[in-house]
Amino acid sequence: MAKMTLDELRKLREEKKKQMTQRDSNDKSAQIIIGMGTCGIAAGAKDAFDAFLDELESHNITDTKISQTGCMGLCFSEPTVEVDVPGMPRVIYGNVDDKVARRIVKEHIIGKSLVSDHIFDKPAVDIIK
Amino acid sequence: MHATLCDMITDLVQNSIEARATEITLEIKENDSNLNVVIADNGKGMDAETLQKARDPFFTDGIKHRHRKVGLGLPFLFQTAEMTEGTASIESEEGVGTTVTFQFDPNHLDLPEFGNLTTAAVTLMTYGYEGNLILKHQIGEKEYSISREELSDALGDLNDTESLLLLRQFIQGNEDELREV
Repeated sequence: MAKMTLDELRKLREEKKKQMTQRDSNDKSAQIIIGMGTCGIAAGAKDAFDAFLDELESHNITDTKISQTGCMGLCFSEPTVEVDVPGMPRVIYGNVDDKVARRIVKEHIIGKSLVSDHIFDKPAVDIIK
Repeated sequence: MHATLCDMITDLVQNSIEARATEITLEIKENDSNLNVVIADNGKGMDAETLQKARDPFFTDGIKHRHRKVGLGLPFLFQTAEMTEGTASIESEEGVGTTVTFQFDPNHLDLPEFGNLTTAAVTLMTYGYEGNLILKHQIGEKEYSISREELSDALGDLNDTESLLLLRQFIQGNEDELREV
């Protein structure tokens, strides 16, 4: 991959922004929050992170936000990921490897249907208290 | 211990973020016989007693998770140093900051692989905090340096998919050039 300067980076970003404002913007964008605590990292949360980015890129979805958080109290089912798509219930998914991450983009974010076999109800009680 | 050194670095830099540092420096220097990493922050620091306890895997400050009794980030580092005949140290002063330094032999059989610094850097730059993070990576004679402030200035919202993709491309480009022979 060719090395870029900061100025080139800035220009690219501005070009993309222009393209984005020309497109019809939906009212709210989807959000993906990846658990990146010691447990998440150890279980491969960074592979999931890269898979989310790759899959969003390949489907040309640019209005989704990806952020990170620490341990969500579900260390046994890491990597855990919370997905918030406007108009759908907020869902926490467990055991999200790269394949599941790609499914979440295709089925949940694009297809608007939950990836039922990886759903967790809510974080462990001692975390949300 | 962590599967890759970049996983360990991610975990350790997160400690600095959680210590509310406004300035964090991650410096990685590599050559054929040495891997040297320094993570320095101006976060809240620790007193001598806490610093000693921080090496214990069954110690945590209890703030993040009130009922949890483990804290594995630093113990993973010391375990890796011990297993691979490397060195690791941590210095800290309350109210001033903390510096974690380690040095490993890249050829040691038990050393975890280096891992993917691009993803580690992208996740750390976009972890969601107000402070600045400066990444310096040097291999042999070549090096590059980039800060979170410069990146936010060029990209705006770093958590946006478009920014994340450009950021990954930017760091990968720098990494590729470092490793070019």
